[in-house]
Amino acid sequence: MVNRMQENGAILSTRDLNLYYGEKHALIDVSIDIRPNTVTALIGPSGCGKSTLLRCFNRMNDLVGGVRTNGECLFKGKNIYAKEVDVVGLRKKIGMVFQKPNPFPKSIYENIAYGPRIHGIKNKKALDEIVEKSLKSAALWDEVSDRLHEPAMGLSGGQQQRLCIARTLSVEPEIILMDEPCSALDPIATSKIEDLMIELKENYTVIVVTHNMQQAARVSDETGFMYLGKLVEFGDTVQIFERPREELTNNYVTGRFG
Amino acid sequence: MTGLWEILIRGLWFCTAIVAVVAVFFILFFLVRDAGPIFSAVGLETFLGGAVWNPTGSPPAYGTFPLIAGTLLVTLGAMLFATPLGIGSALYLSELASGRVKAVVKPAIELLAGIPSVVFGFFGLVVLTNWIRVGFDVPSGESWLAGSILLGVMALPTIISVSEDAISAVPREFKEGSLAVGATHWQTIRGVIVPSALSGITAALILGMGRAIGETMAVMMVTGNAAIIPDPVFDVLSPVRTLTGTLGIEMGEVAVGSAHYHALFGVAMVLLVITLIVNVCAMLITERLREKTTASAAARHRILSAETAERLLRSSGLLVIALLAGVLWVVAGPCTTLIALAALAAVYGIRERISQRHVQHVAFGFIFISILIVLLILGIILYDIISHGLPALSWEFLTQPPRNLGREGGIFPAIIGTLYLVGGAILVALPIGVGAAIYLTEYTREGPVTKIIRSGVDLLNGTPSIVFGLFGFAFLVLFLGFGVSLLAGLITLGLMVLPTIIRTTEEALRSVPDALREGSFALGATKWQTIQRAVLPPALPGILTGTILSIGRAAGETAPILFTAVVFSRRLLPGSLSDPVMALPYHLFILSTNVPGAEQNQYGTALVLLLLVIGVYLVAIVIRSHYRKTVTW
Ligand SMILES: Nc1ncnc2c1ncn2[C@@H]1O[C@H](COP(=O)(O)OP(=O)(O)OP(=O)(O)O)[C@@H](O)[C@H]1O
Ligand SMILES: [Mg+2]
Repeated sequence: MVNRMQENGAILSTRDLNLYYGEKHALIDVSIDIRPNTVTALIGPSGCGKSTLLRCFNRMNDLVGGVRTNGECLFKGKNIYAKEVDVVGLRKKIGMVFQKPNPFPKSIYENIAYGPRIHGIKNKKALDEIVEKSLKSAALWDEVSDRLHEPAMGLSGGQQQRLCIARTLSVEPEIILMDEPCSALDPIATSKIEDLMIELKENYTVIVVTHNMQQAARVSDETGFMYLGKLVEFGDTVQIFERPREELTNNYVTGRFG
Repeated sequence: MTGLWEILIRGLWFCTAIVAVVAVFFILFFLVRDAGPIFSAVGLETFLGGAVWNPTGSPPAYGTFPLIAGTLLVTLGAMLFATPLGIGSALYLSELASGRVKAVVKPAIELLAGIPSVVFGFFGLVVLTNWIRVGFDVPSGESWLAGSILLGVMALPTIISVSEDAISAVPREFKEGSLAVGATHWQTIRGVIVPSALSGITAALILGMGRAIGETMAVMMVTGNAAIIPDPVFDVLSPVRTLTGTLGIEMGEVAVGSAHYHALFGVAMVLLVITLIVNVCAMLITERLREKTTASAAARHRILSAETAERLLRSSGLLVIALLAGVLWVVAGPCTTLIALAALAAVYGIRERISQRHVQHVAFGFIFISILIVLLILGIILYDIISHGLPALSWEFLTQPPRNLGREGGIFPAIIGTLYLVGGAILVALPIGVGAAIYLTEYTREGPVTKIIRSGVDLLNGTPSIVFGLFGFAFLVLFLGFGVSLLAGLITLGLMVLPTIIRTTEEALRSVPDALREGSFALGATKWQTIQRAVLPPALPGILTGTILSIGRAAGETAPILFTAVVFSRRLLPGSLSDPVMALPYHLFILSTNVPGAEQNQYGTALVLLLLVIGVYLVAIVIRSHYRKTVTW
């Protein structure tokens, strides 16, 4: 098992992953390899299974009733769907940022301190440091450093989303999953988050679902195109956008779709 | 011509809408009028602070302090009992139960809400107090403890359903956000879900508390009714007497116009003020909750910091532990108490070393136990009454008048009396309630007028049923000269269920989409034509459900008819509206408190009453689920 990771250098990979929502076959034989310290984009038309695949990576789909998964999903060579896996520990290592910013109805500080506290850090000074570091990494520190104890709900949408990114960073994950993180944001907030993604890949591995083709082209190193539950094509971003091997991919990235 | 007609109709609905406000005003007026003399005679300070309540002694003493203390102690005990069970069950239903389990458990808990309070009281009297007497080896089980347990059980449905709504309303995103940073499900519940639902849960607790404070029959039947303050103060096995109990016991025997009579109205005022405070608190909290759901409003509120919340939780936790330790000390002795405290301290000492997974197991274990206890209580009550009551049921029992003080014979006049009372109450409340709801939803925009009317309805809704009884006695029986009669009883009951009808009808009307109204207006229909043809028909199931729930409530209530309509023994059916009647709840009350040796017929009466009320509720549940399935907009 461990060898496989060393073979292809992937931090996260799936092998013939299938997922069913009851009768609905939502992921079909998906095999993908995500390399560490890259940004990977998942694109495809609405309903093709991008969010579903992303939520497989941190087992968020466990929350939905009637979901069946088979095939392998390997994180550092270990199947995360194996029986003995500690889902909670897994989610600490694979963080997630959601489409709609979802800060808790607590203060800015408490939002970030929540994760570390959960994992047993009580020391006030240590928490302060984590909060500052996370907010800095999420490029939000300068905007909120003087109002840490005000409600997070009072931030703008873009700020809220960066706060959620900071919250994710606070528990020092290895992989960050982002599901259309900019779809609720204006262009300026969007470009801030895009810059952030590129910065983050230095220390983390980022996987981002997006509907925005320019965004995928700008930020990602590799891109996967999905259609009707299948991963149609996966490869270098430049190649996917300029010389797609599949007709379907070509139609989609050139906007001649449907 | 149509114009005039429209105006008349509008005026009519306005009048019905004002009834609730007028009723509140009248209730207050008659209470104050009849309570006034006692305040001027003994002074407010002595009345509230006096340590002795002995209105029939010589000289009589009118200190309500022991009664207020009794009410507060019984309520406190009930909340200590019901809060963990209620929140645990709500968490179970909203977070842990699968859809199928929930579909069974939720109606079961609604069933608990449908059991009439006199049936609870009966169960408490014949079963619970016995258990306490034997279990703690005391001469009598009629005690603070019995009252608290019973009231706690009665408050549970309110607490569970309101907090479950609040917890389920917490956005899924919060939960996902917490799980995504590697929190366990329990950590998520504790750290995000419960804090987000805190105002709703608090409102639920306060509403449950209001229910407990205002309850009469059940408390009166199991608390022993000695107007003393327990000594030591946490001696839960001591008898106590509540404000409501005092009214229930003494009002029937008092000479009208005596100082004692006025003192009882004073007691009712104290009771009303306490429930008013409680209900206003609940109202303010739910209002804040409603505001909070809009994000911009949320931004304006400064939020409790986690440290303050933590500190609050910790100190209230310590308080609860201290109280429980006190109780344990009394009922189980110092040795057990010390051992329990030591065990607690030991767990606290090693808490850092317990893995989160184990913490979650333990927490979910407690949640599971709480729902099991609630269901067990329901099961025991139903089993006890059904198994003992079935042998009493016979054709003769249902169709004959009682003989030998109800020990033999049947309960026919009581069944008929209850049907008359309930039917009459609905005839009074339905047109007024539906009219008021139509006025509130269809004819006005939200403004000062609707606000006043709504507050009136809310106040009426929060008024303890025994206060309705007193009002009916002072206003209808005496002032209007109706005497103890069917008429006085049905008007009192009608007033009591009015808020339920107004609220459910309003809800039903509001769920009718505006498109239907606009469609009708576009065809040139007038306002009233539109309401008649386009709005009322689709709202009918909702109105029907509200009406049926009111029927159930009216059928089970005892306190409002206690002094206005009922007599214990009457072979004849009422010939006119001015005759007094028999009624099932009252019959059960007298049989179980005043007639020794009537066990069989007690259980029979309890079962008939239970079946009647639960049958009525089941019809409501069936109608609701039927229309939920078929009506789609
Ligand atoms: N909880 C669920 N139950 C049943 N079917 C579901 C559920 N969630 C998603 N699906 C179905 O699975 C398929 C994939 O959904 P998914 O949300 O992954 O699509 P997506 O590519 O993220 O779409 P979008 O771009 O619109 O977000 C869709 O057909 C959807 O209807
Ligand atoms: Mg999606």
